[in-house]
Amino acid sequence: MFKHLFKLIWNKKKQNFLLMSEMLFSFLVLFAVFTLLVYYYNNYKKPMGFEYKNVWVVNYNNAYKATNTDSLTQFYETLRQNLKALPDVKEISFCSDNVPFSQNTWQGSVNYKGNPVGGVNQYTVEDSYKNTMTAELLEGRWFNKGDVAAKNRPIIISSDLKEKLFGNERAVGKLVGDGDQPGHDKNAMKIIGVIQGVKAKGDYAPAGYAVYHRTDTGSFHSLGKIMVQVTPGATAAFEARLYKTLANYMKDSNVEIEHLTSKRKDINYFTLVPMIVLLIVGGFLVINVALGLFGVLWYNINKRRGEIGLRRAVGATGNSVSSQLITESMILATLSLILGTFFAIQFPLLNVFDLPASIYIVAIFCSIGFIYVLVFLCSLYPGKQAAAIYPAVALHEE
Amino acid sequence: MISLQNIEKVYRTNTVETLALNSISLDIAKGEFLSIMGPSGCGKSTLLNIMGLLDQPSKGAIKIADQKTDHLSDKQLANFRNQKLGFIFQSYHLINDLQVLDNVELPLLYRSGSAKERRKLATEALEKVGLANRIKHFPNQLSGGQKQRVAIARAIVGRPEIILADEPTGNLDSAMGNEIMDILMQLNQKDGTTIVMVTHDENMAHKTHRLVRLFDGSQVQ
Repeated sequence: MFKHLFKLIWNKKKQNFLLMSEMLFSFLVLFAVFTLLVYYYNNYKKPMGFEYKNVWVVNYNNAYKATNTDSLTQFYETLRQNLKALPDVKEISFCSDNVPFSQNTWQGSVNYKGNPVGGVNQYTVEDSYKNTMTAELLEGRWFNKGDVAAKNRPIIISSDLKEKLFGNERAVGKLVGDGDQPGHDKNAMKIIGVIQGVKAKGDYAPAGYAVYHRTDTGSFHSLGKIMVQVTPGATAAFEARLYKTLANYMKDSNVEIEHLTSKRKDINYFTLVPMIVLLIVGGFLVINVALGLFGVLWYNINKRRGEIGLRRAVGATGNSVSSQLITESMILATLSLILGTFFAIQFPLLNVFDLPASIYIVAIFCSIGFIYVLVFLCSLYPGKQAAAIYPAVALHEE
Repeated sequence: MISLQNIEKVYRTNTVETLALNSISLDIAKGEFLSIMGPSGCGKSTLLNIMGLLDQPSKGAIKIADQKTDHLSDKQLANFRNQKLGFIFQSYHLINDLQVLDNVELPLLYRSGSAKERRKLATEALEKVGLANRIKHFPNQLSGGQKQRVAIARAIVGRPEIILADEPTGNLDSAMGNEIMDILMQLNQKDGTTIVMVTHDENMAHKTHRLVRLFDGSQVQ
């Protein structure tokens, strides 16, 4: 029977072309939607890499006019002592503006043995940053005061960058360059630790590559954020007190306190909105395609009433007619999906958008499953209607 | 071979009730070639459809090959049609998207059997109707007479005991009509196939063993 149906479909290839194109187009759109969903879901499953609850961010503009670096350092060290003296402050750390969940990004390159890796987030942090953020150290150690005297500038890298540069090898102790040209190797930096990648752009974004640089004596000129880890019970009253302390101390600065929990919510929303829009558009498209398929199958069945009557006359049961029509639709879907999969498989093969192949593979399987279910559901009712065709009537109509 | 007892067929709509067949009783012997005649709308095709188990009578009983058919399920009816009956229609009812050989094989698809066996039986049936050289053609590449011969081949491929032909020469000129009639007569005489044929053509009807006339749903001869 399969051979018979293949013959029938092949001989009607011109009539089936539009239906197959519709299925192919739906597959490709679904593939795009599923790729995005799987990508977001994969990122969502991965650990955040730090503890954002009970961490506040103090934004300030560095308005203190210091005559020299020492007095600037003194100014902020005093502030540190004042803040640490507050009852609900557990830890504080000055850092560069690109704190987690902010829109600020500072990227550069690193290269190892002449192989550059671009798009590496660069963070300038203090020794206390790890404790403030509860970052998870996977290899080596965090910065300490002894690093001031290091021959090569010490850096800590994220787990993703470690995997990209060294695969399964140990990273600690290796020297990397700080640019994308081999010549930059002379400014070699020494990896002293590897931390779990931090999803700085929210739950749905990848952790990405990151390099952490230790602050030096002149860093206060460029820093603009203070990460404050507070006790779990820190109240709004305490926040007001913290603000007052900061505002009184940094009289010429605009001080603003944000909570990482709300910043996370905002940045997630920023990611989710386009995804929701895409899902709505994709949903409408699927409904359109389903209605189209349903209509075309219905039309085909009405056009084939004579054939259905004949099949009933020569020995087909109502159920076998219904099954035949559903199987025909599924064969058409299979042919479209073979073509669609050929196009879709190019994405992992050509490494388009630099996503892991597993994301595309899962998306391909999800799209295939979805199309089969859609085609099955759309052909179920017309198939049932075909089974109910009265052979005597259908044969008489012809 | 076929026994009809007090067959009645009523078509009902919300407002109208039409009596298509009124108390038809008919016994057709094995190997008989019977023709049914009557003006348009008198119920000839309805009677043939009821004999072919394509339609159910409103009243009465049908027995085919000593088997009562009243309480057969859809599956049993389909199997019965497939094994015992062959159909020939005025408008051929060939599937235009399938080659001649595939059209003839169609009844065999609903039986068990290998593809090779199906091909052999279909080729034999086409040889019988003189179309062995047209197996790769599509129906729209054939003349009306050739199409009807393909339809006959399809009807006989499963070696049914009964052939039901609904105006098989109705769409053909007299020469082609005679050709088709000759094939049917040969099937009846050589193979002993029981044939029931609906026709408008007196000449064709007189070639058969018995003629039944219908008028307004009733048997008048």
